[in-house]
Amino acid sequence: MRADTPLRRVGRALSSLKLTLACLVLLMVVVAACTLLQVPLGTHQAVVRTVRSFLIWWRPPGLSTRIPVFPGGGLIGAVLLLNLLFAQFLRLELSRRKAGLWMAHLGLALLVLGEFGTALFQVESQMPIPVGQTSSYSQDYDQMELAVVDTTDPKTDVVTAIPQSILKRSKAIETPSLPFTILVKRYYPNSVLSLHRSGDPEPLATAGVGANLNVAPAPLATADNEDNTAAALIEPVAKGRSLGVFWVSNGLGAPQGFALDGRTWRLELRHRRYYLPFSLTLEKFTHDIYPGTDIPKNFASLVRLKDPSAGEDRDVLIHMNHPLRYRGLTFYQASYGKGDKLSIFQVVRNPGWRLPYLACALVALGMLLHFGLKLSASLGRTRA
Amino acid sequence: MTKPKKASKALVRRIFWGTLALALFGAAWPLIAPAPRTKFPIAEFSRLPVLEGGRVKPVDSFARNSLLLIRGTQTLPLGHGRTLSATQWLLDAMFKPETADTYEIFTIDDPDVLGLIGLEPGRQRRYAYWKLQASRDEIDKQAQSAERIPSEKRSRFQSAVINLASRLNLYEQIKNTIMVSGDGNPASELRLFEQVVPEAVRAAHSGRGATARGKAAMKALAQLLERYQFLAKAAAFRCLPPRSGQGVGAWASFGEGMLTPPPDSGPHPGLADWALMGDAWRRSDPAAFRSAVSDLTAWVQRVHPEYVSKLDSEVEFNEAQPFVSGMALYVLALLAIFVWWGTLRDEVRAAAVALTGAAVLVHTAGLLARIWLQGRPPVTNLYSSAVFVGWAAALLGLAAERIHKKGFAIAGGCLLGFCTLVIAQHLSASGDTMEMMRAVLDSNFWLATHVVTVTIGYASTFLAGALGIAWVLRRQLLKNPDPATTRDLVALAYGVVAFALLFSFIGTTLGGIWADQSWGRFWGWDPKENGALLIVLWNAIILHARFSGVARERGIMTMTVFGNVVTALSWFGVNMLGIGLHSYGFMQKAFYWLTLFCASQLVLVVLGLLPPRWFFADDEDEAAA
Repeated sequence: MRADTPLRRVGRALSSLKLTLACLVLLMVVVAACTLLQVPLGTHQAVVRTVRSFLIWWRPPGLSTRIPVFPGGGLIGAVLLLNLLFAQFLRLELSRRKAGLWMAHLGLALLVLGEFGTALFQVESQMPIPVGQTSSYSQDYDQMELAVVDTTDPKTDVVTAIPQSILKRSKAIETPSLPFTILVKRYYPNSVLSLHRSGDPEPLATAGVGANLNVAPAPLATADNEDNTAAALIEPVAKGRSLGVFWVSNGLGAPQGFALDGRTWRLELRHRRYYLPFSLTLEKFTHDIYPGTDIPKNFASLVRLKDPSAGEDRDVLIHMNHPLRYRGLTFYQASYGKGDKLSIFQVVRNPGWRLPYLACALVALGMLLHFGLKLSASLGRTRA
Repeated sequence: MTKPKKASKALVRRIFWGTLALALFGAAWPLIAPAPRTKFPIAEFSRLPVLEGGRVKPVDSFARNSLLLIRGTQTLPLGHGRTLSATQWLLDAMFKPETADTYEIFTIDDPDVLGLIGLEPGRQRRYAYWKLQASRDEIDKQAQSAERIPSEKRSRFQSAVINLASRLNLYEQIKNTIMVSGDGNPASELRLFEQVVPEAVRAAHSGRGATARGKAAMKALAQLLERYQFLAKAAAFRCLPPRSGQGVGAWASFGEGMLTPPPDSGPHPGLADWALMGDAWRRSDPAAFRSAVSDLTAWVQRVHPEYVSKLDSEVEFNEAQPFVSGMALYVLALLAIFVWWGTLRDEVRAAAVALTGAAVLVHTAGLLARIWLQGRPPVTNLYSSAVFVGWAAALLGLAAERIHKKGFAIAGGCLLGFCTLVIAQHLSASGDTMEMMRAVLDSNFWLATHVVTVTIGYASTFLAGALGIAWVLRRQLLKNPDPATTRDLVALAYGVVAFALLFSFIGTTLGGIWADQSWGRFWGWDPKENGALLIVLWNAIILHARFSGVARERGIMTMTVFGNVVTALSWFGVNMLGIGLHSYGFMQKAFYWLTLFCASQLVLVVLGLLPPRWFFADDEDEAAA
């Protein structure tokens, strides 16, 4: 008999089935909580706060600090994964009789890993294209960026994009590509814009459309189809001279900017853009309904995919259940607008998208094998 | 346990086949029975095609679904032994609305809505249209303001008033499909229209020099056009199938047909036929009605032979109501199983198994008919998922009965078959159960794989739960349960849980793969996905609890009962969260039943955890003795 070293004890605890059971029960609670919390928080927030976090935090009413109240999906998943691997290699015999169990559990481990991969690496964005137009970028759902565009040359714009994280953090932004400093005076992740009326407090902005606006912060949107109106109050300063105080927001359509030393600049707060090495042109969008109803029957977009570097120039039909997969990105028909003149694609980059397919096949085959063996054994006993 | 007298094998076999044949004959009776003789050719009329909800269906289906929506039944009893079929009611509503307005068809249960109309609650449940007419504007106003509130935040009154307004709306649409609320005479208006059109055109061309007759024609035409424009907007369904060479988009309502300039071959033949039918029904002229119906039927058979067999079959399917006879057979089978458990006679067992078999066969026939009529896999909406869960559970029970011949498997299967068909019956009152699939769901491949497998997962988890209930009841009710039988029951439940885990896992992950294919993420933690995952997790917990020895017989069996709660919540509870899916008026009533069901299951779990025969004093007496 081997000595009961602390290491062995840890190994035994980690491989114990009781730990598995505890984790599964905790996971059920977290999944149920995630489901119920989607009503007040919206899907995205509920998922981020429960299954995609290591601890579930709660702020008791009247307190300013949050306390962890429950393990989150990330922690449970990690323990479950460890437990699975330990149990597999310490306990389960490697035999033909147990081959099904091996397969199923290996598949499960892959499935859990895949979900971690998705949480870490998957990037979702959207790409609206009006009929007849071409686009070569997609835009983030939540993340914003401040685009400072040098429009002096009418043929090409030179864009300097400042991500939201820097806007939120910094008081002054300096970068070699800009001949001025940008002071960030306010940043609201969501806001309400209204026209300035006499009697309202003085507008904070002095230049651009914002000079006639009241901008008030608002709580973040929770519903899945609501968009936030982010707003930033910024002041470009060159050599100690202010070039005006501007409100920039994705809720503002009118262009605003200034001139400096013979160059013209445009300022824009917009959804963060991801530029693609190829372009899509929307040639046609069709939206079929069942006759005599408004039940949608099909949405389809005919796009022209042009990728000069790869020599690609071809038509692609993107429709329900038939996405375009190209260069590690997947384009799905997600939505439409402007009286069927605008098609919106969801663009997903998920390097591990194939993993769940493999994992599920492994688990399913493993269970079939294991339960099949058990059933035939039990039938044999009954017959005998 | 006393050994009963052994019945001869031949007798048992004869009883089995005899019961099976009798039960099937009973279920098929509505199809075999001679049709009641009516003066009007109602049966022929009910087979005419109409387009509604994007689907070509027989008048019969439209009439039944509308009456179900409005009144909650498929026929209309008028008292004094008189009952109108849904089609007869539809004819009255379209052509004799002054009579139909007096039928008490609007079911109103909500006391606040009754108060709004100025009616006293408790007197009666159903009201005639004419009684509601005075409050019509107020109902509409309340419904409109309620509709601005998101469905999950509406109060009971708000949901109820929206529901009533939409039923009134449907009824009014029906009244304004061919005629404007029974006003005028559709046949003579049609003739007048054909006569005044050329005269009015001529008068319009001659401008100021038009004759008095021409001016009168122009005025008459303007009135008729106004009428047909109104009908084109108000119609409840489209009654004019496309002519030969036209696509499915050419289906038109009566008003639209009148407003479309006719091609060289003349106006749509359906126009005259529907107008004549209306006229004949109003005048109670069966001969004229019959000739118009046969004329239109002949035209449909010539131009749209592809509709005919489906329309006829759908009417027969409506008539046979296989899920209603299935329900009855499940109850009979359950009774037979109880008698068998009481008597332990092989003859009774044969009858019980035969009745279960007949119920499953009838259920299967109904399911297959729906698959063929709809051209879809069996599960397309909540209604059909209920039908399918019961079917899969009953079939699985029948199969398991071959391994463990103690009656528990079929009893569980029959109980589930019956309960889910009752649920389906209630769900069917929310409209056409063969509705068209929204674009995202329009994939027969995924409907057939993901939805069917995950639903089998629900069915088997419920079956395991039913076996758990049987175990709890045996433990609490039987004085000396046979230990061998108990062992069998536990082994059976364990096998069913394994089956459930397999199917719910495969079904859930196939759903993930579908999601990855259609909107780019394998798993999004949305309520429906989470619900399915909870079932998988719970079944996995049961298996691991047994394997680790944490739970033994009592633990495992009570856990399967709790599986009922998990499954019911993820099947129905998720739809009540009000996110993603729209909630139905039905859901509020369903919420009450769901809560009741879950509470009852928790009581059973507690009963299972208590010592055996805890409720009865006799054990203590015996122990003391």
